[in-house]
Amino acid sequence: MFHWLEKHPFFFAVGVFLVISFAGLVEILPNFAQQSRPVIGTAPYSTLELAGRHVYIKNSCNACHSQLVRPFKSETDRYGHYSLSGEYAYDRPFLWGSKRTGPDLMRVGNYRTTDWHENHMKDPAGVVPGSIMPAYRWMFTNTADIDTAFAEQLTVAQFFSVPYNQPVPMKDGSTKVVKMGGSVAEANALALAEAELIAADMKDQDVKDAVANGQIPEIVALIAYMNSLK
Amino acid sequence: MENRPLEYDYTVAKMFMLTTIVLGIVGMLVGVILAFQLAYPELNLVLGEGLAEYTNFSRLRPLHTDAVIFGFTLSGVFATWYYVGQRVLKVSMAESKLLMFLGKLHFWLYLVVVAAVVVSLLAGVTTSKEYAEFEWPIDIAVVVVWVIFGISMFGLIGIRREKSLYISVWYYIATFLGIAMLYLFNNMEIPTILGQSAAGESGIGAWYHSVSMYAGTNDALVQWWYGHNAVAFGFTVPIVAMIYYFLPKESGQAIYSYKLSLLSFWGLMFVYLWAGGHHLLYSTVPDWMQTMGSIFSVILILPSWGSAINMLLTMKGEWQQVAASPLIKFMVLGSTFYMFSTLEGPIQAIKSVNAIAHFTDWIVGHVHDGVLGWVGFMIMAALYHMAPRVFKREIYSKSLMAAQFWIQTVGVVLYFTSMWIAGITQGMMWRAHDEFGNLAYSFIDTVTVLHPYYAIRGIGGLLYLVGFLMFAYNIYKTMSARRVEESELQNASPMGA
Amino acid sequence: MNKLYLWGIIITAVMLAATYISVSMSEGGLNNDIVNMLAITGAVALVIITVFVVIKYVRQMQVDSATGELTEDNWDGIGEYLNDVPTGWAVTFLLLMVWGMWYMTVGYPVQSYSQIGEYNEDTAAHNAKFAAQYKDITGDRLVEMGESVFLAECKVCHGISADGIDGKAANLNKRIDAIAVKHAIEYGSNNQLLGFMMPMPDRNGLMNANAGYAPITDAEIDTVSAYVANGMTGDGADIFAGTCAMCHGADGTGVESMGPNIKKFDIALVTNVLNYGKKGGIGAMPKFERLNAKQKEAVGAYITSLSE
Ligand code: HEC
Ligand code: HEC
Ligand code: HEC
Ligand code: HEM
Ligand code: HEM
Ligand SMILES: [Ca+2]
Ligand SMILES: [Ca+2]
Ligand SMILES: [Cu+2]
Repeated sequence: MFHWLEKHPFFFAVGVFLVISFAGLVEILPNFAQQSRPVIGTAPYSTLELAGRHVYIKNSCNACHSQLVRPFKSETDRYGHYSLSGEYAYDRPFLWGSKRTGPDLMRVGNYRTTDWHENHMKDPAGVVPGSIMPAYRWMFTNTADIDTAFAEQLTVAQFFSVPYNQPVPMKDGSTKVVKMGGSVAEANALALAEAELIAADMKDQDVKDAVANGQIPEIVALIAYMNSLK
Repeated sequence: MENRPLEYDYTVAKMFMLTTIVLGIVGMLVGVILAFQLAYPELNLVLGEGLAEYTNFSRLRPLHTDAVIFGFTLSGVFATWYYVGQRVLKVSMAESKLLMFLGKLHFWLYLVVVAAVVVSLLAGVTTSKEYAEFEWPIDIAVVVVWVIFGISMFGLIGIRREKSLYISVWYYIATFLGIAMLYLFNNMEIPTILGQSAAGESGIGAWYHSVSMYAGTNDALVQWWYGHNAVAFGFTVPIVAMIYYFLPKESGQAIYSYKLSLLSFWGLMFVYLWAGGHHLLYSTVPDWMQTMGSIFSVILILPSWGSAINMLLTMKGEWQQVAASPLIKFMVLGSTFYMFSTLEGPIQAIKSVNAIAHFTDWIVGHVHDGVLGWVGFMIMAALYHMAPRVFKREIYSKSLMAAQFWIQTVGVVLYFTSMWIAGITQGMMWRAHDEFGNLAYSFIDTVTVLHPYYAIRGIGGLLYLVGFLMFAYNIYKTMSARRVEESELQNASPMGA
Repeated sequence: MNKLYLWGIIITAVMLAATYISVSMSEGGLNNDIVNMLAITGAVALVIITVFVVIKYVRQMQVDSATGELTEDNWDGIGEYLNDVPTGWAVTFLLLMVWGMWYMTVGYPVQSYSQIGEYNEDTAAHNAKFAAQYKDITGDRLVEMGESVFLAECKVCHGISADGIDGKAANLNKRIDAIAVKHAIEYGSNNQLLGFMMPMPDRNGLMNANAGYAPITDAEIDTVSAYVANGMTGDGADIFAGTCAMCHGADGTGVESMGPNIKKFDIALVTNVLNYGKKGGIGAMPKFERLNAKQKEAVGAYITSLSE
């Protein structure tokens, strides 16, 4: 049979294709059927948080940081509760990473704060002596792309029914509504309102001034995202 | 059997040889920079504070991986295909104007994509998925290039004179199909310009931005089904295709066993795809998938070793050739590193071992004993074999080649030993609790201990890069030397002193 | 013995020695952790197996010769032998496949293992062990334990010597800095430092009894801040007595349910900071849910010890 295949490239290719697609069918499809639903307490990203997530991706922070707490005592001690599938329901793409040159960030919002991030992103080794993380000073002057974040919110709401402007259940029994603007202008206003809260906790005067002038530096969006990781 | 000597046309092969070398230099140079940035973080500012956005570790890392995978390695795969394909199918590209055109089109479009990738990665346009960073406009271009490659490959097969397909061709076909399938599924994404606001605005935001079709755990599954098999169909399958041609050809030996070739090939095809779960151990994917990933990884040792053993046995009784020829040394040591990394991978795929190995430099060590010792060695050996034949000139210097071999071997050994120690040390420190049951180390303690190993790795990588530059120089001098070879050569490559 | 095998043995010995040295020198150490031991064993086995298998084939390159029947095919001058598959390889392949089937169906039936279950067991065992061990520790041992928590969790913000890294976080070597006191007076404080909601009013609510209950002035704020920051010494005792003592006690060590200790750290105060977090003039301090009660007590004892 194999000798015959080796003389008939078309059937050879079909054979190879069948053999290699088999595993995908068996291993991947079953999980898709039982799609990961959000766990209680998981809410979609706000416009500013999503813009911050884009800053994270743009700078490939995932090259050094994972976002996956494995179920080991040593990891839950360091980072908090192990990860649950449903917590990633709104993560497109997922950002688990595959290398921990720096610590896991899955729940960094629980134990780091706005002002700490501000100091740290400006000069990591100044805060953590011996740190090999690069400084990200340009984030303090680059402007975050709120429009694209808004476009992504619209896209996921339309194509994947991500519940914006709808109540989502929280752990304490309450509900939370993550707002999405009705227009580009409204989306920018929402993001700015959120940015003002962050900037209030920051020290950098240029950043504060920028936000006061209606501009959102990348660092503000990034910190909003970091703080949302819980 | 044909008696008329065929004039093979190596135009396209030569073009891809050039990109193999250039992108190899770029990719490895960036790799060396990355390695030293981890040892000496001030190097994030190599070109000054103003350009730090483009020269820092995290912006450069995807450039390294994509330059060596899709630049260096794929170019090598294309170059060897356009060389080996003609020869084992016994047809010349010159016989078909269409194929010649497609081959050139393949090259030029590929070059356009490479340029787009470099610019977009430096600009920070990425989807973050490892080895699939490109946004949708580039994805489309990639698919076009791949389809052209496929047509040109199957076109050549279609007009072949050799009825039955040589082993290498099996592997090239599998490369084409595997990557095609994986790439398509992993890059299902929706451009966000499709989003429409309640106010009726559309076309909002960056036009090239997209969002993955899959979320969270599902996205991870598809990504590592891809990522694992990108390794399979990029770093394993086409490289095996190369060794099955270049080792017997260079040494003049017949393949040790057809049956072993056959079982290894179909075994590899079947088993490989199942093993992807080993990238997701202890994650949130269901336990049974993780277990299957581990089991199949262990089984995968055998079809992998099958090819390597077949190659080593092909050299049976030919030790004098190994001793005399640096070209053959590259291939024999390459097979050895192939065996090494395909045993290392399964060991790391055992759940309890992965508990420590995952997320650490031990994985980076595994990656590089494979890519440097196997992929890199094999591609360089292939180009060394091709050079005298496509340029019709003797290889410029054999002693340079021998020196290169030893320098790079030392480089690889330094690279992976330092990363082993670094990875296992870091893994153990992360897990350690002290006498009070508290974590024994804060994260930064586990970073600062790695400094010496990062420095050693940098030196190892630098040695490898130096060797690669020697290779580039040797090929360059070969190309530009006075023409000496008049006719087609059989077996061993002629080498200068 | 053949030179090659000698080399194999040398490599193996070097590998074992290197492993031994790096494990015994490494900070983490084996720690009696089965995972660590498996990883090391795997790494060692990997080198040994590869080296000896390759030596076996290299020997054949040296002494054997290529024989066998060739197939009819020939591609670009490359022939193929009809040799059989090496027995060892075939047998191992078969065995592994059988093992795989067995593992999935009988050995570790695919649905019977749960990593979360395993985690729960490990964690319970760990907690039980240490709960028993540190149940009764007090005094210096408690401080030592607290230092270990501090070095793992707190030093990224407060610095390895707890000095707050140039004002980026609170300096824990003394109870409080003047700028923090000033901030509390000007803006009030609302951090559940007493373990429950009991805010301190801002400057408009702070009246100096010595000055006829007039709201506290800028000059008075500066003076009393310096006084508190200096550990209740220097000028400002009168302002303190007139304005603050009601809630914080005459000596600043706090009044039950009224005001926290602002003279010295104590375990209760630190525990409350860890339970609720804190936002003040320097920045924000996160709460630490992942520490257990004993760890909080210990780190409280450690911090208290720093300024003693
Ligand atoms: C070269 C690797 C590297 C890159 C790239 C990197 N980091 Fe880090 N990161 C580290 C290291 C190492 C640490 C631990 C030392 C420290 O805290 O600085 C760290 C720590 C952190 C922490 C503190 C987490 C904690 O638990 O203490 C945060 C938050 C963080 N990084 C965010 C980022 C973000 C956001 C980016 C991308 C914009 C990024 N990092 C890029 C290496 C990196
Ligand atoms: C009405 C009662 C009251 C008065 C008067 C008062 N405090 Fe307080 N103070 C409190 C309470 C309650 C807290 C804790 C608030 C919290 O939970 O954050 C506090 C907190 C503080 C803190 C913050 C401690 C820390 O660790 O950050 C400082 C400093 C302080 N007081 C200083 C003063 C000084 C100085 C004065 C006089 C000028 C004063 N207080 C007057 C009730 C009072
Ligand atoms: C993300 C940074 C961060 C981490 C981690 C952190 N702290 Fe803090 N901590 C701060 C900051 C900032 C302040 C100052 C808040 C203020 O008063 O403005 C503070 C204040 C405190 C205070 C209060 C001092 C006072 O005046 O009341 C105590 C006590 C303290 N930290 C203890 C700890 C301990 C113990 C840990 C570790 C278990 C820890 N901190 C970890 C940032 C941090
Ligand atoms: C039997 C064959 C192999 C198996 C079972 C295997 C297994 C593994 C495992 C378990 C990981 C680590 C996953 C993690 O914990 O992060 C890994 C990573 C990796 N391996 Fe292999 N490996 C094999 C062969 C190879 C070869 C031959 C190469 C290259 C030449 C290679 C390249 C890689 C790469 C690039 C990664 C890193 C993926 C990432 O980015 O995380 N592997 N492999
Ligand atoms: C000159 C030699 C090289 C050096 C110094 C080098 C260095 C590096 C460094 C420092 C990293 C990042 C590791 C980390 O994040 O901790 C890396 C990653 C990587 N390199 Fe190289 N590299 C070299 C050559 C190559 C070659 C030739 C290839 C492929 C053909 C390659 C493939 C990869 C891959 C796939 C990764 C990602 C690994 C992962 O994510 O686990 N490298 N390299
Ligand atoms: Ca990786
Ligand atoms: Ca893509
Ligand atoms: Cu893999």
